[in-house]
Amino acid sequence: MKKYIPLFLLLFLATSAVSLAQSDNISPARKQAIDSLALEKVKDLSKYISIIGSKETQFSEANRVMDRAEELFAPDAEMGVSSLSRRDIAYYKVRRYFERLMALNYDRVNITWYDIHYISDLERQPDGRYVGVVTVYQRFEGTSLESGLNYRDTTKKDITIYVEKKQTQIAGRTIEFWDVMLGDIRVTETSA
Amino acid sequence: MRKLILITLVSILSFELASGQGLYSPGQPKDDGRFAASTKQVNQFFRRFNAEESIEGDKRYYEGDPLYRDRELRGKFISILFDNETSSVDADTKKQFLNEVLSEQYPQYIHFHREDWFAEVSAVFMYKGKRENVTLFMKIQPEGLGYEWVIDKVVFQPFKDIFKKPQGDGKGFLHPLSHELGFMNLRKAFQDSDTPEAYTSKEYTPDYLTLFLYEMKKGSIKFETIQDVKFHFFQVNNWYFELNQFNRPGFNTGWLISNLVRLKPGDKESIQKYIYDQK
Repeated sequence: MKKYIPLFLLLFLATSAVSLAQSDNISPARKQAIDSLALEKVKDLSKYISIIGSKETQFSEANRVMDRAEELFAPDAEMGVSSLSRRDIAYYKVRRYFERLMALNYDRVNITWYDIHYISDLERQPDGRYVGVVTVYQRFEGTSLESGLNYRDTTKKDITIYVEKKQTQIAGRTIEFWDVMLGDIRVTETSA
Repeated sequence: MRKLILITLVSILSFELASGQGLYSPGQPKDDGRFAASTKQVNQFFRRFNAEESIEGDKRYYEGDPLYRDRELRGKFISILFDNETSSVDADTKKQFLNEVLSEQYPQYIHFHREDWFAEVSAVFMYKGKRENVTLFMKIQPEGLGYEWVIDKVVFQPFKDIFKKPQGDGKGFLHPLSHELGFMNLRKAFQDSDTPEAYTSKEYTPDYLTLFLYEMKKGSIKFETIQDVKFHFFQVNNWYFELNQFNRPGFNTGWLISNLVRLKPGDKESIQKYIYDQK
């Protein structure tokens, strides 16, 4: 939580910045600040996924990291996974997805993330919260020493972000800030 | 020759699109430009079509920015928004479309919140113990403090097979003096006929969505999965195009225009009828 405080502050300041009166009521300056916070959370998630997937991670450590990773998500978030050979989306609760990742039958797993991302506009939903999608690309490499088989894929991850204005008390004063939670993630295997 | 020009154009643009979208630390896999070139979200399709973001995709242009809706930038973007590998949109049609959309006097843009675009979702449901394909048509509408996607129509073959109103001589009817008999002959419509829809008005069309929801509420239909999504656009005057996602190697990937049709009067209604009824 501490690491996000400078970003919250930035968001608070951005909230006070001159609004250019976009129709969605989020000024470009505020949008940029929200994007930064969303990217921080996505970056954390990608780091956690790499740790959970790695065979060098102890079981207890992986569980602790799964707890941290789950905290990034809004309740009921799901992963929807499809592959090049199967068009159907398979649905997993976030925890279940992490557990499956941890249990993959490889001796060595290396998960890395491409140096590219795309962030959508923020759209307001009926309850007043804003929603956006961040797209990132992940490379997975699994090696089985016994069979000598290598498996490699690249997946596109479209990650829902929910953006909500919240309040907190600091030194008796009520401060408003924008918070970001992750939501459903669509995982698509790419031909890359 | 045309193909060569297109490949060259896409390659040049893809090279231009390759830089500057970095997020992660050095040592991470580098995108060779393919992901940068890909139209990664429908949102990006809108932004590129309207020239409302930078070539790199990392800067959103707003009204007042010098390059916001810049005509030259739009031209570059729109030319890479077509599926150049599998679709058969000819170069002449594309050129006419580009000329009209980029018109200096009357440029045309697409709008997320406006009508005249909708999604076609191919889903699978379990019905009477069998996997059945269902097509859902979704549209976006204002609701509460924002917007939501809603189900507008559904196409479900088992329902279509049930409702087949007979035509001509084979069609049963209630004769014009039935009222004098207190409509006692309704028994023929409801008990002796397996096509009671023959006795409905000319304007009658079955409301498949209501039936679908009814069966779902009764527990007869259960959601399984989603298989595919595409979008239909009628927002550009006198044009229709279809947007599909292309997941394949190369630079011409992501959300791309796969079908483009110039509309003559009456064509819009015919195409919509075709889209809604085709399955």
